Formats: sequence, C-alpha cells, structure tokens
Amino acid sequence: MIPPVANIDQGLADRLATIVGERRVLFRPSELLTYTSDGLPSYHKQPGLAVFPGTRDEVVEVVRELARRNVPFVPRGAGTGLSGGALADGVVLIGLNRLSRVLSIDAENGLAVVEPGVVNLALSRAASAYGLHYAPDPSSQAACTIGGNVAENAGGPHCLKYGVTTNHVVALTVVLPDGEVVSLGNADGEHEGYDLVGAFVGSEGCFGIALDITVRLSRNPEAIRTLLADFMSIDAAARAVSAIVATGIIPAALEMIDQATIRAVESSIYAAGYPTDAAAVLLIELDGGAAGLESDVATVETLCKSGGARTVRIARDETERARLWQGRKKAFGAMGRVSSHLVVQDAVVPRTKLPEVLAEVHQIGQHHRLRVCNVFHAGDGNLHPNIAYDASDADETARVHVAMREIMTACIKAGGTITGEHGVGLDKLPYMEMIFSADSLAAMCALREVFDPDRRANPGKVVPVHSCREWHAAPSARPERVPA
Amino acid sequence: MTTIAVDSVDALRDRVRDAADRRAPLRVVGRGAWLDAGRPVVAGESLSTRDLAGITEYVPGDLTLTARAGTTLEEIRLATAAHDQWLALDPHGNDEGTLGATIATASVGPLSTSFGAPRDLMLGLEFVTGEGVVVRGGGRVVKNVAGFDLTRLLTGSWGTLGVITEATVRLHARPEADESIAVQLDGEAGVIRTRELLRRLPFTPYACEILNSPLARRLIAIDGVAAIIRLGGNRLAVAAQQTAFAALGPVTEIDGDVWGRLRGSESSGALVFRLSTRPSEIARAWSAASAVADECPGTMLDATPARGTVRCIVPGAPSSVESLRRLWGESAVTRIGERLTPELWLACSRPPTHDRISAGIKRTFDPHAVLNPGIFGERS
Repeated sequence: MIPPVANIDQGLADRLATIVGERRVLFRPSELLTYTSDGLPSYHKQPGLAVFPGTRDEVVEVVRELARRNVPFVPRGAGTGLSGGALADGVVLIGLNRLSRVLSIDAENGLAVVEPGVVNLALSRAASAYGLHYAPDPSSQAACTIGGNVAENAGGPHCLKYGVTTNHVVALTVVLPDGEVVSLGNADGEHEGYDLVGAFVGSEGCFGIALDITVRLSRNPEAIRTLLADFMSIDAAARAVSAIVATGIIPAALEMIDQATIRAVESSIYAAGYPTDAAAVLLIELDGGAAGLESDVATVETLCKSGGARTVRIARDETERARLWQGRKKAFGAMGRVSSHLVVQDAVVPRTKLPEVLAEVHQIGQHHRLRVCNVFHAGDGNLHPNIAYDASDADETARVHVAMREIMTACIKAGGTITGEHGVGLDKLPYMEMIFSADSLAAMCALREVFDPDRRANPGKVVPVHSCREWHAAPSARPERVPA
Repeated sequence: MTTIAVDSVDALRDRVRDAADRRAPLRVVGRGAWLDAGRPVVAGESLSTRDLAGITEYVPGDLTLTARAGTTLEEIRLATAAHDQWLALDPHGNDEGTLGATIATASVGPLSTSFGAPRDLMLGLEFVTGEGVVVRGGGRVVKNVAGFDLTRLLTGSWGTLGVITEATVRLHARPEADESIAVQLDGEAGVIRTRELLRRLPFTPYACEILNSPLARRLIAIDGVAAIIRLGGNRLAVAAQQTAFAALGPVTEIDGDVWGRLRGSESSGALVFRLSTRPSEIARAWSAASAVADECPGTMLDATPARGTVRCIVPGAPSSVESLRRLWGESAVTRIGERLTPELWLACSRPPTHDRISAGIKRTFDPHAVLNPGIFGERS
C-alpha cells in the first residue's frame, strides 16, 4: 500500500508539538498500538505519527503544516469504523476526538452545530432538554463521533424511517487538505448551487476534515411501541418484513436477528429475553403521534402472526424496551464470547430478495464449514452477515475470506450493493470494480481531486488507486464511436 | 434554436461529445416544461431527453423505481398508483414534466414538508458528462454508501455537470387516509401561529402551505390569509391531526385537488421567485413578500413554514419588474429565482459556481463549458 513516508521525522513531530503540545503527538510504536486497528480487527496498519489537536485552529494549523511538508494524513474519530477506513499506513493520523463540544443548539429550528469529535449519543443527550434528538443511531453510538458519522454517511436502525446521516447534515465548515477553510451548504435557509454537503458526506476522510457540522435534530416521538416477533423460519420472518413495509406504515426500525446471534446474545451479559429456539426474531419499533399508533401496532401484530410468527411481544415499559434493544445493539459485543475474532460484513439487497439471499448466505457458510450469523436492518435490506472465527487458525481464516467474497458476490448478483453504511475504506476496495465501471470510478477520483489535488487525505481508500487514471484523458481512451 | 431529441444513451453521448469537440454549448432540456423561465442560457442547440423515456425497473415490494430521464411524472404516477404507491415529489407546474428535469432542478413542492427534497429520495443515477462520458453513481437499493456521492452532486446541478439519463428513486406506500383541510388565518400573526403549532405537534403533516388572499380566493374561495394542510396516515391518526389544527381556527375539509391547482397556479408570463429564511423567521420572509404584493397587485404568495420559504408569483408587467428591482434593493431576505426576466436573473442570483470547489467540479465534469452555460444567472 502506501510506502512509509520519508518526511515524517522528528522535525515534523517537534513542529506539530509546538501546535498541539508535546503530549498530543505520539511517535513511539508502543504509543501508536491503539491506532493500528479500527472496529474491524482484520487490518493492522501503523501510523507514522499520531497528532491530537484540541481546537479548530490547531486542526487547521496541523493540516497546513502537513501541506507545507507534503505529508499524507488520515482523519480519525473514535475508530469504531468497520471498513478499515481510519487506518494510517505509515502516514500521519489526525485524531479529532478532543474536539468534542456541542457549539450551539437552535431548538426553534431543530439545528445543532457540533465539533467533529462529539459522540453521537452525547448530542442526543444534549438535545434532550429541548425534546429533540439526533436520529441516525449506529450501534456504536455510545462511542462513535459525528465527524466519523459524516465521513462514513453512517446509518443505524432508526434510519429506516428517519434517513441516514446525509439526510441530516445541513452545513459544514471544512478544512481542505491544502489548509484552506471553506463553508459548504447553508443553515440559514434554502441552499443554492451544487450540493457540496451531499458530496462531502460519505467521502470517508478523502475530501478534508469537518471543523464544525450543522445537523438537523428530530422531535422526540410522543409515543413509541417496540414489538418482538419470533419466527420458526428465516424465510417467514423475511416475508413478514416485506408485508409490513407494503402497508404504508414506516416503522422507526425493523431489525432481524437470527438464531445463532440470539443464542450468543442470550448467553452473554446482554441477554435480552429473546426466545433461543426461534429461527429468527424481528425487532419492530413504531413511533410518532399517540393517536392512531395502536392501530398501526395492531396491523403489524396481525401481519406478523398471519406470516407465521409464533408470538408477538410488545414491550410494556421503557425498561423492557431498552432491554430488547440492548440485545440488538450489543450483538457484536456478545459474539466475543463465541470466538476471538469477528468479521462483520455490510451489504444491501433489494428487500424482496432477502429470503433468497439469506438462504444463499446460509449455504455459503455451510459449504465453508463456518457459522454465519445475521443481525441486520431488514427493513432496508441492509445485511450484516458476520462470522466468528479464530484468526490464529490459518485454514479457518482463509475459509472466512473466501466465504465473505462469495457472500458479497451473491448480494451484487441480487441487484444490491457492497456497503450500506460501513463505507468502502480498505475492506471493500476489491469490490468497487464489481459494481462501478472504470469511467464511474475515474469520475469519483476526479471529484476527489477537486477537494484534494495531491491525494494526501486518506490515501489509498474508497477508490482503487489504479482506477484513478487521468480523468481528462478519458475521451481519448474512448472506444471507437458507433457510426450514427 | 434547433432541438435534438435522442432516444438512447449512446446517441446522447455522441451528441455531447460532438458538442464538446465543436465547443458548441447545449441547452439541456427534458420536455421543455420550464423553458420559459427566462434563465439566460447561451446556447445554439437544445438537447432533449424527452424520447429517452420509460420505466426500466419497478419492483413494488422494494419501493424503488428506475426510469429513464424523459419519463414524465404522470407515467410514474400511474404505474405506481396501480400498486398503491407514489413518488412523493410534486414540483410546481404539473406531472407532464420529466423525472430528469425534476432531479436536475431539485424542484420541490408542498410535499417536501414531510418527504424532503429530491436529494432525499434519490438512490442512484446515470449521466453523461460534458465530455461525453457515461457515469453512474449510487445504485438501486435504498441504502448505499459505496463510492463518492455523485448522485447528490448531480441532483440540483441544473444540467451543468452532466445530462441525467436514468435515475432510481425511493417510493412510498400510499397511506390509508389522505385528507386535506383549510383554516383561515389572521394575517401575519396567523403565519407565526401556524409555524409555532407545526413545531409543537407530535406529527409532521404531509404538507402545510399558507396562502395570501388572492391565492386563497382562487384556490379555496376564502377571502384572507389561509392555511391548507394535507394529512396522511391511518384513519385514526388523520382524524386526530385534523383536530390538532383546530387550534388555528375553524377547520374546513377541502378537496384534495387543491394541491394540483396550487402547483398550476402561475400564469405563463408571471415572475416567480422564493424568499428563504430559517423557519423561525418565516414572518420576516412573509413581511418582505407582502411588501411585494402591496406594490404589485394580484401577486400570489404561498409560504411553506416548515422550510422557511415564501413563493411569490408576481404578474409579469413592466411595472412589476421596476418594483421588484427597487424592493430587492431594500430587502436583505435571500431570494431564489424560479422564473424571471434576464435582467432580474442577474439582479437575483448569486452565482453558485464561483467558489473554488464548485468551479473545480464544473471544470472537471464539463471542461469545455458546453452544458447549460448561464443557467444559474451567472455572468460569463
């Protein structure tokens, strides 16, 4: 990948220390160990140096210093990402978690301005005094940062109804990789011109670093009902998902948890009371105005039962609701009991293809003698097949990699995509050419070069390097014209 | 102006390449429904996607639809209605406009209060760059973060970065009940009360628009400022929502055709623009818009309190142009043009392509500046 960068040296470390303070520059391998992985432990890359600015001015100064010295860098939030996107291979890692202030909340307009290091859940806590919350809720929301969420265009269970990160970001102040500070979007009214906020959100740290982010807050629902429906076959559960969505009722969340995951959860400290003999459970949340909500709950209950649900349980109070959600949100944590390593996949298929794709995923697992667990956003068709394995077993590790590739191929064949919310990072790079043409990938590279002509921000991520041919050479490389 | 209509992506690509080779600017259009917007495009030829039409994929269970750019909103409406679904976009004008143009202009209508703007319903698209390269962004599934977001970049770019050839959009299932009501309001105070009520309600109506007297008279035969509200959901929810709006005044049920009539309320010669503020300052925009209405008799105003905008439809007389120029000089409220005279365009628009990033993106996707030059009202 990226060769060690020669101009990362004691001189740079000393200079950065004058900006952020000596304690905030890490240089020794032992200190950098924490930053060699993100939430996906199958990749290890050691940064050349890590720097932790504490203010917006320090971030800008650090970025300008790196620009002067032509040093590549990788921005990092909490490091909870699941695609290897925040790994720095010999280059400078800029940790943004110290920029953790909620700068303002405009309750009248439902807007908040935050620094990039604000933890997702901390924003909702700050907004709760106004009866508001920040809707995108990745499972890592107790740790992940809004800046990281913006970089990845993060999702979460409640994005089914409320939309993903890009639907909630209104404006950004960004330091470009050359050190220039620009404003994108408009928090004061309608935006005119190109949707640069749309382009920046999900750019995985390749377009610059957000210094502040203006997000839309959502009103806390007047009423919430959380249902747990258990099924004796995955197929029946998947069909119930389609039946619910077809009614016009948009659940706040519609999650599926399969038997293998249920058993891991139930034998862990996160036990949620899921029936361990069920093939799958659906965790369904409905919210909104109290009037009419019970009628929707009754409709969903009936659809689940007529679709083969053995029981449908409705959480009686907030404690029971929190417990049902804990099992879902901590499922990956619970897998830690099963094996030492876990690989989590992220793919999206058309909702109607869920039954056949889930069956195929199961077969792929069996074929490679692996146990694939599924816990995912069924309402969106956003699969998270995951496999617990032992990385010290070379044979098993090899089988895991082959199985993962086969699973991705199956999802693409079903008309889906290679990532719904985790990002491309390093992990999905090999799959990009399976879903985008060379011209489309070159166009993405060209867009990146507008923000970062030197390709110094998060180098080697998102688009395979060899796809980044000279964009304006594209026409001459065209095939012969078809005669008119 | 010559109009070239193509019926395949290959033919369109060749036309754009040819224009790029000749450095001959193109006016990119769908069916030309909004061509009289007075936007100062400088182009010798018009390239139309009207024959590049038809729904290419629609799986009702997925609530997604893929169609070629020239497909009309009407065709999509009919196809989806057969499955009790809809594309929740209602741009001003009517459903004879194309999907491609709706996306390219990011046009919004009353439903944006609940369903958002086109950017919020876009899943993927295909386009031809100003150099004649066919590019795809996004995909056909409802959630997707693979690659940089070319889909949102092209949405609202007014055909200046590429000619959209196909798009995949998110659909919604039709609700059990879809009702419309009207409430008479007490002038500007009523505008503020409506906005305050919307903020407190535990639900978001499908649409909520405030009309000034001339528009209210025309659409719902009410003399005075009035709100029209569209409510959707199950029957119990909609009944409760109706009751909630009684806080504003006596509620009258009205026919749902009011929304189509609102979209079609501008006459062909009218001058149309929006005033935009934060929603909390809607009264400021309403007051500036009312000043326009006072100066230009017959002006119709339509406010969307959830978005903080007031749409102004001004009779297109020379005296209106004079009045607008003077009033715009006095008011600091942001103006967004929809249909103006070329000189008002120049007085209205703040070219969005002047910043380094926007200009760089334009140069990247249309290096020879052949796609819709001047459409933002920018001076060349």
